[in-house]
Amino acid sequence: MSEFVVASDLAIEYRTPRGAVRALDGADLRVAAGASMGLVGESGSGKTTLGMAMGRLLPSNARRVAGSLSVGSQSLFDLDDDGVASLRRRQLGFVFQNPMSALNPTARIGKQIGWALERKANQREIHERLQQVGLRDVPRVAHAYPHELSGGMAQRVVIAMAIARRPRLLVADEPTASLDASVRGQILELIKSLQREIGATLILLSHELSMVARTCDVVGVMYGGRVVEAGPASIVFNAPLHPYTQALLKAAPGAERPGERLTAIPGMPPVLIAASVGCSFAARCHLADETCRRTRPEVRHLPDRQVACHHIEAASPRGGAGALDPS
Amino acid sequence: MDAGRNSILSQCSKAMRADPLMAIAAGVLALLLCVGVLGPLLPIGDPTAIGIGPRLAPPSPAFPLGSDELGRSFLPRVVGGILVTFQVAATAVLLTGALGAVIGLIAAYYRGRVDTIVARLADALFAFPAIILGLMTASILGPGDLSVIVVIVAATLPLFIRVVRSVALSIASREFVTAAEVAGASPVRIMAMHMLPNLMGALIIQFTYALSLGMLIESGLSFLGLGTQPPYPSLGSLLQLGATYLAIAPWLVFAPGVTLALTILAINLLGDGLRHAIDPLPGRALK
Repeated sequence: MSEFVVASDLAIEYRTPRGAVRALDGADLRVAAGASMGLVGESGSGKTTLGMAMGRLLPSNARRVAGSLSVGSQSLFDLDDDGVASLRRRQLGFVFQNPMSALNPTARIGKQIGWALERKANQREIHERLQQVGLRDVPRVAHAYPHELSGGMAQRVVIAMAIARRPRLLVADEPTASLDASVRGQILELIKSLQREIGATLILLSHELSMVARTCDVVGVMYGGRVVEAGPASIVFNAPLHPYTQALLKAAPGAERPGERLTAIPGMPPVLIAASVGCSFAARCHLADETCRRTRPEVRHLPDRQVACHHIEAASPRGGAGALDPS
Repeated sequence: MDAGRNSILSQCSKAMRADPLMAIAAGVLALLLCVGVLGPLLPIGDPTAIGIGPRLAPPSPAFPLGSDELGRSFLPRVVGGILVTFQVAATAVLLTGALGAVIGLIAAYYRGRVDTIVARLADALFAFPAIILGLMTASILGPGDLSVIVVIVAATLPLFIRVVRSVALSIASREFVTAAEVAGASPVRIMAMHMLPNLMGALIIQFTYALSLGMLIESGLSFLGLGTQPPYPSLGSLLQLGATYLAIAPWLVFAPGVTLALTILAINLLGDGLRHAIDPLPGRALK
């Protein structure tokens, strides 16, 4: 399968009054066309920066330090403004965390759907778009202002706007974080089914492992601005290799037996101000040694996944997994 | 459709009920403007007609507000003055509002160097006292309505730019602006369709304050003889007349003075009321 999104060694920093903060520190990511990839990580792991970079939607104080990022076959950081505008218009759709701030409070829903479509749309087309995202009582919704909708309905509208031009890449940044637990599942289902329907590649940014496990075929785990482990969701979640992925899974509720305690990861995620010298997880990792603190682990491409760790043999949950020769 | 307009109307009436002072202010302002606009139709005489009465006469049934130094009835002149002062100020402030909105939006949307330059220029303009600007403009353009308009624009433009810019900066960082960018909307479209409607509230409030400031500037410059020229009356030039004859005809100063004070007070109260009605965070408003 061809790869639709390729990030290689991407480093991005934000210039702040108190110095630069490195949000991405050499992120490597490959997403196959048509796949659904979940990017998981704590706050500050760089997943939002990576997601927004895919539309070159980073704030003006962000600067690419190194590496490249391409969407489709276009290298994003080599495009001029017109190129970016046309890429966004033709290929990208974004679903944001808070649907209320993703809708213009001063315009009716129908009008905003019309703005999102490629060309002038008539009322019937607008109503079809709203039906497509599972909204009932479509004429009333089309005539309403955003504040008159519930969070779940508003998020459906945002999704309708994101897929209005049949994008080839759909980036959803914590699309259910601000919604009621009862509608989260429905919204995820909707995103997934629409993604399949239009044949788009989906990037789902989330800190909820269970959500990613249910929704995505592929998963990328981010830590300290790098993708530390990525591969098919079933493999990464069932047999995690990177110590961070393992710790994350132990800390996540869902699969524990009755009476079993969840294990929190000690320490805090790092705030990088420059490229990290060693492995950024070393300070919190039970396997860390001098090598981890001195040299950056390179991304190793195994047959079934990629992982960036010096100790994947020792970390292997299955003991000595013989097939996992470092390349 | 009418739902939006209805809701604005109902919001206004709700705000007026909650704030009776604002309702009174709106009523007073409406009354003064009606009198000003309908002035030429009222049976009180032409404000610019040649005087035929006694000079500086005290108020009497024939001259309800007395007569001026040329024997003209003072009442039509005060009524005409309301309209002149309001027209000049409103024209200037509408112009400033449009200009300030465009400049502020551009500064907030593009940020960076454009923003810095606009903000500094606004600060520099703000540092000039309006009277100095007025003397300067009048000596370049000559006294008259045009130079008054220029002065009011120069004096209120920084206020508009600052308010629009600060509100627009926060709107520009909202996600619907990003969503519009993803949808391929042009900067002009984003500013006009997405940002401008969201800062209309702030713009309207600023408009009321700028209007009262504009009327004060107009009256001030006319008082100094730099504004509206004879034979047309303005509240400022009428005040000046009253001040000249204060010792022998003290009643002349009252009508234009009270009218001007009342108008500006009404506009300011209306502005305060609107701010309370529109501002989503009243707790943070300055007391």
